[in-house]
Amino acid sequence: MAIENKKGWISWFNPIKYGFDRWLFAMHRFTGIVIGLYLMAHVFETSNILRGPLTWNNVMVFLDWPFGIHFGPYILSALLLVVVFHALNGLRLTIVENGLMLVRPYRPEYPYKPKSLAGWNFALKIVLGILMIVISVFGIVYIFTGVIL
Amino acid sequence: MELVLKGFGEVVKTVTFRVRRYDPEKKEMPKYMEYKVPVQRGMTVLDGVLYIKEHLDPSLAARYSCRMGICGSCAMIINGKERLACQTQILELNKDLIKVDPLGNYDTVKDLVPDLNKLFKNHESVKPYIVREEAEPYGEYIQLPEEREKYALFTECIMCGACLSACPTMATDDLYLGPQALAQAYRYIADSRDAGFNERLNLLDSKHGVWRCHFAGACSEVCPKGVDPALAIQLLRGVLSKNVFIKYKQNPAKLGPERASIKEVL
Amino acid sequence: MRESKIMLLQYLTGLFILVLGTFHMLLLSVLAPTSNKVLYQYASTNHTLIGGTLYYSTVTAIYHTLLWGSIFELLLTFLVFHIFNGFRIILSEQFPGAKAEKVITYSMLILGLVIFIWGSRTIVLMLLQGGI
Repeated sequence: MAIENKKGWISWFNPIKYGFDRWLFAMHRFTGIVIGLYLMAHVFETSNILRGPLTWNNVMVFLDWPFGIHFGPYILSALLLVVVFHALNGLRLTIVENGLMLVRPYRPEYPYKPKSLAGWNFALKIVLGILMIVISVFGIVYIFTGVIL
Repeated sequence: MELVLKGFGEVVKTVTFRVRRYDPEKKEMPKYMEYKVPVQRGMTVLDGVLYIKEHLDPSLAARYSCRMGICGSCAMIINGKERLACQTQILELNKDLIKVDPLGNYDTVKDLVPDLNKLFKNHESVKPYIVREEAEPYGEYIQLPEEREKYALFTECIMCGACLSACPTMATDDLYLGPQALAQAYRYIADSRDAGFNERLNLLDSKHGVWRCHFAGACSEVCPKGVDPALAIQLLRGVLSKNVFIKYKQNPAKLGPERASIKEVL
Repeated sequence: MRESKIMLLQYLTGLFILVLGTFHMLLLSVLAPTSNKVLYQYASTNHTLIGGTLYYSTVTAIYHTLLWGSIFELLLTFLVFHIFNGFRIILSEQFPGAKAEKVITYSMLILGLVIFIWGSRTIVLMLLQGGI
């Protein structure tokens, strides 16, 4: 029997009530799905290389100028953000989900702030967040201008 | 001499309670009803709910017992977040509208009463007791204070069920064990007196076991006792992922001297 | 297979993808075998591709190298495992139950194989065209 009061996946995107980590979880899952769907499209897209130079170049131009609008760089930038987020957050999760870089069990004290989300885990979030911004800036500048900083 | 408490018993302001009303026996959709509640200083949300029950609408159902954050009966979603109603001051919320919902991800018995059967079943399934091979002992197992510190945090659980309501995996996956059960599993695995790791392994390592946690941290965020179930689950996962390479060995504590008094009772 | 082993593979493939994916990104920019390192180099008058890292001859030059070919193949293998195992987890959390579990697992297995074979076909055929 279905649970009557089940909150469903829509509750993942509750941005304020539960703090930052649950938001990261929702974004990790969302970006994962986006990358997965992109891989399928990418495999299809790159298989065009077998169909000769004319087809390939036409496909590339179409993806850069879909429907006559220069939209390609925006898509690539969004994709880069998605990939960098998933990669760096995934790196953090690989560490903390295997019980590394976490606090030892402690005695809870009022007002009961959870320490598992603080400490090294929090430091990782900050460091990887800065790294994400740096990589994204490099990438987006390259995508739009072709300048390698 | 008469002691006068300043502002005691005065009505400070009137807030609106928006309460989710639902009775599964009547074939009606859940609906929200609003009640105006005069608030005195020191009044908790549970007091507000009881005021409604006494003065405005006796048909409102809520579960409570100790009114002091020990029993874990009155967990509700108050203004979108899971809290113990008896530990939440209305004036501290600082809102004129207070939304009160029963815990999510459970069946509702009536109004604000969630059906916690799932929580208790999952808790029972991870064997929340010390598992030993030998027969009933007539003494204590010897444990050092440092060994107790490894799990002392997770013994604070009062089984209010707030973590299962906040958990994003639980929001879709009914078969998931849930933060409470997994934290208790780790509490017993980390206990130096326990020898039941292999008995619990099959359940914990199953498709809806410990690996369905994605460290969203919401369970720790809402826990009214600061148990930090998320920490327990990650540590448990550390044990399980090491167990893939090197089989995890428990060294169950030795039995202390036999006590005649225990023998007499048994 | 036990869930802990699957998840360990999930974490390991994730780390490998992080390394190989970095090379894949650099290949589009810093390491591209072209003098002009832009994604698209257009002719001045119209939208005709005349160069850049996504130009046909640049891309084929990459595909014809055995090193890049094997990196792509490895990346594809890890990605297919990581992504379709991820989809399996997401879907089995969305639709819990023994029967749904089976349907999800097998459909993800088949879909993953299709994508893997399709991608490998491109890589291998391009390598063969390059004379390897």
